[in-house]
Amino acid sequence: MNFKEILLSGITILPLVGVIILLLWRKASKNQAAIIGIISEGCALIIPIFLLANLQSGETIQFSLAWIPNMNISFSLKLDWLALVFLITEVLVTLVAMIFSLGEKTGEKNSNHYYALLLLFSLGMSGTTLADDVFLFYVFWELMLIASVLLILIWGYGEDRYRIALKYFIVTHIGSLLVLICLITMYVNLGSASITELTTQASALPIQMQTILTIFFIVGFCVKMAIFPLHIWLPDAHTVAPMPVTIILAAAMLSMGTYGILRYPIAFFSLDIMQPFAIWLMVAGLISEIYGALMALAEKDVKRIIAYSSVSQMGYILFGIGSLTEQGMVGAIMHVVYHAIVKALLFMVVGIIIAATKERQIEKLSGLAKILPVTTVCAAIGALGISGMPPLGIFNSEWMIFAGGFGSGYSPLLTILTLMGSLFTVVYALRFFGKIFLGKLSPGIELKASPRALIIPTVAVTIFLIVEGLLPASLLSWAIQGLAVVFGGTS
Amino acid sequence: MSGSIEAILPSSILILGAFGIYLAARFLRLSNRVEALLTVAVISAALIGLLTLGKNSNGILSIYGVFEPGGIQYQVDVVGNYITATSFFIGILITIYSGEYLSKDPRYLLYYPLIMLTLAGLLGMFYTTDLFNLFLLTELISITASALIAFRYKKEISIKAGIKYLIMSSLGTMIMLFGIYFILQGSDTTDISEISMNINNFSRIGAGCFLAGFSIKAGIVPLHTWVPEVYSGAPSAISALLAGVISKSMLFVMAIVSIKLGLEPSELGLYLVSFSFLNMFIGSVRALNQNNIRRFLSFSSIAQTGYLMFIMGIGFYLQIERAIAAGLFLFLVIAVTKCLAFLSAGIYEYHFDTGYIDDLHGVYTIMPMMAYFFSLALAGLAGIPLLAGFTGKWLVFSAAISTGEPFAILGVVIFLISTIIGLGGYLPMIVKQFRSSGNGFEFPGFQRELPKISIWMSIPVGILSILVIVIGLFPSPLLNIINSVINWIIWL
Repeated sequence: MNFKEILLSGITILPLVGVIILLLWRKASKNQAAIIGIISEGCALIIPIFLLANLQSGETIQFSLAWIPNMNISFSLKLDWLALVFLITEVLVTLVAMIFSLGEKTGEKNSNHYYALLLLFSLGMSGTTLADDVFLFYVFWELMLIASVLLILIWGYGEDRYRIALKYFIVTHIGSLLVLICLITMYVNLGSASITELTTQASALPIQMQTILTIFFIVGFCVKMAIFPLHIWLPDAHTVAPMPVTIILAAAMLSMGTYGILRYPIAFFSLDIMQPFAIWLMVAGLISEIYGALMALAEKDVKRIIAYSSVSQMGYILFGIGSLTEQGMVGAIMHVVYHAIVKALLFMVVGIIIAATKERQIEKLSGLAKILPVTTVCAAIGALGISGMPPLGIFNSEWMIFAGGFGSGYSPLLTILTLMGSLFTVVYALRFFGKIFLGKLSPGIELKASPRALIIPTVAVTIFLIVEGLLPASLLSWAIQGLAVVFGGTS
Repeated sequence: MSGSIEAILPSSILILGAFGIYLAARFLRLSNRVEALLTVAVISAALIGLLTLGKNSNGILSIYGVFEPGGIQYQVDVVGNYITATSFFIGILITIYSGEYLSKDPRYLLYYPLIMLTLAGLLGMFYTTDLFNLFLLTELISITASALIAFRYKKEISIKAGIKYLIMSSLGTMIMLFGIYFILQGSDTTDISEISMNINNFSRIGAGCFLAGFSIKAGIVPLHTWVPEVYSGAPSAISALLAGVISKSMLFVMAIVSIKLGLEPSELGLYLVSFSFLNMFIGSVRALNQNNIRRFLSFSSIAQTGYLMFIMGIGFYLQIERAIAAGLFLFLVIAVTKCLAFLSAGIYEYHFDTGYIDDLHGVYTIMPMMAYFFSLALAGLAGIPLLAGFTGKWLVFSAAISTGEPFAILGVVIFLISTIIGLGGYLPMIVKQFRSSGNGFEFPGFQRELPKISIWMSIPVGILSILVIVIGLFPSPLLNIINSVINWIIWL
């Protein structure tokens, strides 16, 4: 076992060490707990960046430890370009959420448990992206769910959170069980739990089985992506979750569904198997895009507006994947990253608004630009970002997704409709910004000063969004190499 | 009389121990805890005897008894060893638990001997080579279990539960007696090995009768009606023993006996799989919206019997060792998690005198460890990853899917639906313990003094909690044991 392999295992083990320290340090203050959390998560971010050079030289970094020999199950991790994009996205989002958390009230009680669960939530996602064993993948996949449910249950808003957390758990668990069935079917029929091995052998399965597995995989992962009509868990869960958790849910966890679709059905089976589903994926993406946008337009709760925008944005991603073209899929991968940045930014803005005004109804908010100038600028950039305005990032990814749609071989009308549908995004984004920040300051609102811990990460994310939009070359290159992994590249 | 005396050692230890401890406790006026400790020593000695027997027999069966018509013979059975060793282990834990649980009960003298006799009866059911003895041993368990169920006879719910179990159980043994009558018509012997060499229609009818009789004792739907009342009326420790091991063991005895009497494994498999669907579905659905914790656990137990029936049924129907191995694994998982759940519920009852989850809102604030233990049991039963239940689920699905048979796939689908419905029961149960409206624990009878859990109760629940995690994380040693058991199975 060489140094790189040990480092790779560190991405999962170091956060776990952080969790153990936090659980033992029962009297840790919020700041102390946050430091442990941020350091552990920071390590999980630095390691893949450190290993980037190895990936660039075409190396595959793997770590494997025998776990349950009788069942051929091992603790295997593998870092490739596809995993890297998703891993860095989710770790970065979690880090931002942890820092943002310092400026608001969540987790002031039982801070050690709060940060331990945030770390476990993130560990679930990083493990999901790195796992090279189907058993291990599922363990991490469910860890992600359990940690997030506990965070909502313990620190969520309102008495309704119990009912909503159960709904969130059960609905997403149904999707997970569909994935589990697929994983076990492959494990049993091909005699291996290694994802790398399964990827090379999957095409040996009977065509009918490949088709059924593809359906199950797609439906299972679409639940996590919150694609209409499988989105029913999302708006409520996002609304009652504490803001840092909402940020992670929307900006990072949703993308795990995208990762699943790319890593499993698309990487496992040939495009011939996927082809019959392409049109359905594109149509589902289109419907989700328009439905999410319309609901965001109709909603009055500021958090729900941004929550529904996630349903809409996931629609774009599914549309891009469904095109089954290189451009469309690279666009989808890029959209995951850009969406994560924009969504984190918008929820942080909403967090500042709620912290400053104690108000969530959009109709009761107006004219905040006069008193929250910095937040207004961030919100404006976020709103423009989600609308796909150049040169902000989403413009790049949407461009590629639409190009993929036109190149898919299906009626251009489908892509035109998706393109037109993006107008709704512009409308709800402008409504969100215009209603809250422009006009006269709404009477009866008592403003409280926003802590710097809320403002600083928000500004940082805004700057990052601009930079990422202006300099998309490296992300584009990562996404292209990530897609190469899906289609049989070595790393 | 000849044969290896080792074959009757565990049973002898238990039976002699039962009488010896009863007499010692009566005449020496031993306290509840001393009697509990002596019982632990006896069951442990029997367990060691059983494990030594399994180790030494090395696949060769030990037989002991009178090898003449009407003689009593015991024949070591490896599956029986696995099942009874698990039961003895659970028996030890519930005895330790009872050291505190029965501290307020003056009638403890009889309690521990009854537990030992129940365990001796269970072992005998696996070991006996004679149908009439099997009938007697089944009756023994019915009577001792009924007495244990109705142990708190001043409570109406307990006495009702005891009578119901006795009636239903006796109905089962009566059907078995009919079976023996039919078998005698065709074979003129009650020796199981002789009957199995001369299978005829009468013996097959007899096998059907044993199937029906044991179906009642195992709680197979629609013969499950006694389950909710018995498990919610009995002392928690006894519910743990019955739900965790005794009723599930009946499925294995049923399988062994009915196959030996001439039922084709495929017929048995078909029966088990068909009725497993009902168990899975009805158990999960009825478990929803139950406020009484033990009633909830009873219905979930019916569903778990269904899971076990399903995978054992697949194993018998298609003669797949992998499925039988998954069944044996699942048996132990259910034993550990179900026992933990019932014992945890018992601790709540012991301290707050309530068995209703709605009375325990926010109990986490005053009994955090108990809330964790009980949640662990429920999460284990729900099949949450890294806990024993998930590994069991993985093995069951793997075995079922590997067959590629449509009915096995259908079973997996029903299993999944049952799991999802089950979540609707398990999750609220977990959440309510941690949920409070800001004032912490609000049970009206609570005196604001933090209840201290006795070490007698915390040791068993602690051990079981560790096992729920360890079996989930590192199932390899257990799988190795099961593989060796599977290799020795001669009746498949």
